[in-house]
Amino acid sequence: MSPELALQIGEGAAQQVKRPEPDAGGIVPLWRQVPSQHRTDQNYYGLALIKEPVWIWSVPAYFYVGGVAGGSAMLAAALHGKKRLRRLAAWCRLLAFAGTTVGPALLTYDLGKMSRFLNMLRVLRPSSPMSVGSWSLAGTGMMATLSLLQGDRSGVVTRYGTALGGLLVAGYTGVLLGNTANPLWRERRLLLPMLFMSSAAASTAGVLQMMPLDKREEKVVQRFGMVGKAGEAACMVAMQRSDAAVPEVGAAAREGKGGVLWTAAKAALVSGILVELLPVRSPLKRKVSGALTTIGAICLRFALLEAGKTAAREPQTTINLQRSRMRR
Amino acid sequence: MTTPATGFFTDTSVCIGCKACEVACKQWNQLPADGDFFSGRSYDNTIHLEATTWRHVAFIERQQRLSGQSTSRPFSWLLMSDVCKHCERAGCLEACPTGAIVRTEFDTVYVQPDVCNGCGYCVVCCPFGVINRREDDGRAWKCTLCYDRQKEGIEPACAKTCPTDSITFGKLDDLKEIALARLQELHRRGVTEAWLYGMGGRDQPGTEGLHAFFLLLDRPEAYNLPPDPYVPTKGVAGAWGVMALAAAGMAAAALAAAHGRGGDRK
Repeated sequence: MSPELALQIGEGAAQQVKRPEPDAGGIVPLWRQVPSQHRTDQNYYGLALIKEPVWIWSVPAYFYVGGVAGGSAMLAAALHGKKRLRRLAAWCRLLAFAGTTVGPALLTYDLGKMSRFLNMLRVLRPSSPMSVGSWSLAGTGMMATLSLLQGDRSGVVTRYGTALGGLLVAGYTGVLLGNTANPLWRERRLLLPMLFMSSAAASTAGVLQMMPLDKREEKVVQRFGMVGKAGEAACMVAMQRSDAAVPEVGAAAREGKGGVLWTAAKAALVSGILVELLPVRSPLKRKVSGALTTIGAICLRFALLEAGKTAAREPQTTINLQRSRMRR
Repeated sequence: MTTPATGFFTDTSVCIGCKACEVACKQWNQLPADGDFFSGRSYDNTIHLEATTWRHVAFIERQQRLSGQSTSRPFSWLLMSDVCKHCERAGCLEACPTGAIVRTEFDTVYVQPDVCNGCGYCVVCCPFGVINRREDDGRAWKCTLCYDRQKEGIEPACAKTCPTDSITFGKLDDLKEIALARLQELHRRGVTEAWLYGMGGRDQPGTEGLHAFFLLLDRPEAYNLPPDPYVPTKGVAGAWGVMALAAAGMAAAALAAAHGRGGDRK
């Protein structure tokens, strides 16, 4: 037989697939009784109805980095022309540049076909937050590079261009997550953009607080950060309250890795705020508060991805959410 | 000349669960096997639609009779061959940032494998959980509605091989007529639970109708179909509005922080 005849050339040919077997649950010890399950809810053997997000760690990492880049781009523009805050403005410009450079690298790392990352800029599709985001990330990256090079002498276009792009980069990720079929993200779609935006301000301040600052700079950073942290906390509270309305979504947010990370994010954020409010003035206090805020912001983004995965795994979350929407 | 829209009508009431469609699809599209795996869930070892499984037969064993069924024991088989729905408004297509997912001249949704860069956004935007990214290959794959065969004027492999014509391929308008006739026939015979899933935009506003629609004998969730699928992009304007508000908030915070007391005046 000629092996040539067996050569596969079709669209899906020549590919090896490793499909993870669905988790059948752990082994039950012999001495434990397992009650028969009586399920009143109807689904297909409890198998997932929608697909889990395929994104790896670099995507939530990018959410954080992009947030810092966006927040610093905005702050840099606000600080422009202030003589005694020049050093802080320079830090902000550097952060905006670093974020918009590292961010695309992280995103590219997640791509299945890394060699094709330029395809992101092949079309501009307004219906896709990811397409809008890719363009604004690329544009802001260019603008941030320009304003880093020009420094204090940067013109109006560069300054406001970077700031505007920064705002988009900081917030579009929230729209991106909300604009999906994932029940947890979809249920939170109006809160996510606010959460990402305020958390971007908080994480920018968090990074800046860990740098050597003088009194005046410290004050600016603290004020910017406090608004962000307060907003972040408010959004997190609002999310928990809205989750409570649909028990399955609330459960998905609390269970597993996502729940642990969410709790960690809450704890870090609250303790960051508390440390900030201590009536002591010392660089150490500032740095601890900055570090806690940073940890909180990173945990928050990983929590959102993990909770999204949990919500996708349980079919009843999707079904009950849609059923309750139909009844409304 | 415009080509009329084509699609599938899957009549689950005549499906016998032979899985010929699964095999024909795998063979025609040369999709890799998924390996030996025993699910323990009825006769369904394929579990779900996947990047490498573009047709999937669901097996539902129920301890209840269908209306009009006269067996001695309360038992009924529900079988359904599932496939990509090729939505009128497709979540994957609207989410794709590279333009890799396009609508063909047959009004079907097609992923161009040479453009897809594997960002994975279509995976979370499909309300049916159809499309997925392959681990080895890094690209997203799903049913093409046998675009290559349609180009030559022949019907898709699954419909061609289906021995009971549970899978009917044709022009969408013709399919709707066939589906309605079949529905009336079943209702006349007393199978009152038969209904059409996603035939038009009125039945399923979230997707504005499917190009691969189904005649079901139970609620959609029994078949692992969402009861009220919703293409995410349909409601994205509100989120952008909220983002704009939040952006204004952040700008105000930055300006206030920079210009407030203790800061520096020009």
